Amino acid sequence: MPDSGLGSALTAALALLLLLGASAYVGGVARLQRRGDRWPLRHTMAAAAGFGCLAMTLVPPLATGMTFPMHAVRHLLLAMAAPLALALSAPITLALRTLARRPRRILLQLLHGRWTRAVTTAPVVLTLDAGGMFAFYLTPLYSAAHQHPGLAAALSVHMFLAGCLLSWYLAGRDPMPRPVSTRTRLLVLFLAAGSHDLLAKLMYARGLPEHAGSSEHLQVGAQIMFYGGDVVDWVLAAAVLASWYARTGRRLHRRGQLHRLTG
Amino acid sequence: MMRALDRSLTSGVLIGIGVAAFLDETVFHQLLHWHHFYDRSTSAAGLVSDGFFHAGGWLCVVVGLFLFADLQRRGDTLVRRVWAGGFLGWGSFQVYDGLIQHKIFGLHQIRYHVNLLPYDLVWNLSGAAGILVGVLLLLRGRISATASARQRPER
Repeated sequence: MPDSGLGSALTAALALLLLLGASAYVGGVARLQRRGDRWPLRHTMAAAAGFGCLAMTLVPPLATGMTFPMHAVRHLLLAMAAPLALALSAPITLALRTLARRPRRILLQLLHGRWTRAVTTAPVVLTLDAGGMFAFYLTPLYSAAHQHPGLAAALSVHMFLAGCLLSWYLAGRDPMPRPVSTRTRLLVLFLAAGSHDLLAKLMYARGLPEHAGSSEHLQVGAQIMFYGGDVVDWVLAAAVLASWYARTGRRLHRRGQLHRLTG
Repeated sequence: MMRALDRSLTSGVLIGIGVAAFLDETVFHQLLHWHHFYDRSTSAAGLVSDGFFHAGGWLCVVVGLFLFADLQRRGDTLVRRVWAGGFLGWGSFQVYDGLIQHKIFGLHQIRYHVNLLPYDLVWNLSGAAGILVGVLLLLRGRISATASARQRPER
């Protein structure tokens, strides 16, 4: 990305947003603890991992050295790892428990609003996630973004938000506008992960995106995306099933059907 | 809700498919380097099939293991049916990979610069043998499984 005034201003703005988000989370946890409420440590750890991944994308070498393998690592952190970690940190639950009454009511209205309901359906989640990536990597959009820092920042934000939507839909620890069955979650995960793998292979096979560097760089980048994406998708699958396992376990426990209890 | 009989079989099939996919990826792709990440003759349909089968393969392991853990905590595991499912899943995946992906889609071959026939025969016949073992275990398991399911409440 050419080092321009607009580019660094945008980076500074994103860094500021990140800092605000992280301090809001820490502030929320501190408020709960002052009140004597418990907040699971694993949520705080997940938040730290998520904000950490985002911070890494804003500083060198990932923010500046834009060879294609670097871009691939940055993409994995920004659009896959950070959203998953943040979804596991339950920030919306934290906000609902700590906000003052008025902002809390606005947040609740947003969560139950028509837009949230429309966006959290399987076809929309998949189209925004996979569709955006296919358009970015297989068309000249990729090289256009490297000419225009504004477009690049907008696309980064889109990738991050689409990743968040997918992670929240599949594994978010916050309540959803309407419940999604484990079967549907697994199907959506299968389709999303399959398209990730297909996209990485297409990039490798066709030498895409255009003008992104030497063919060696493209091949290394595509393999980073393929195997790195797999790792994040494994964690996603484990997160989906862990909540099913815990839910079923609580039901069995109530009915006294656990083997070690009855045996 | 699935009966314990079916859940044991399902868990086995999923783990079997996953193990086949995992062995293919680690042994033949990463360790031996006989298979290639991409082969120039791969068709578009081959890439689609490969992408979704790769994703499906490891997803199967994760789901299969969680199902198995669930069976265990309920005390419902029917060991022979899990094994039957495992062989069926492994064998079917092996044959699908060997016949459809390698031959029809031309994804990649088992090995390059060698006479392929013995490799293809071993690959597909071992898969077929896996399916056969799975079916036999299933048939034998049916009788004893119903018996042990009836005894279960006394435990």
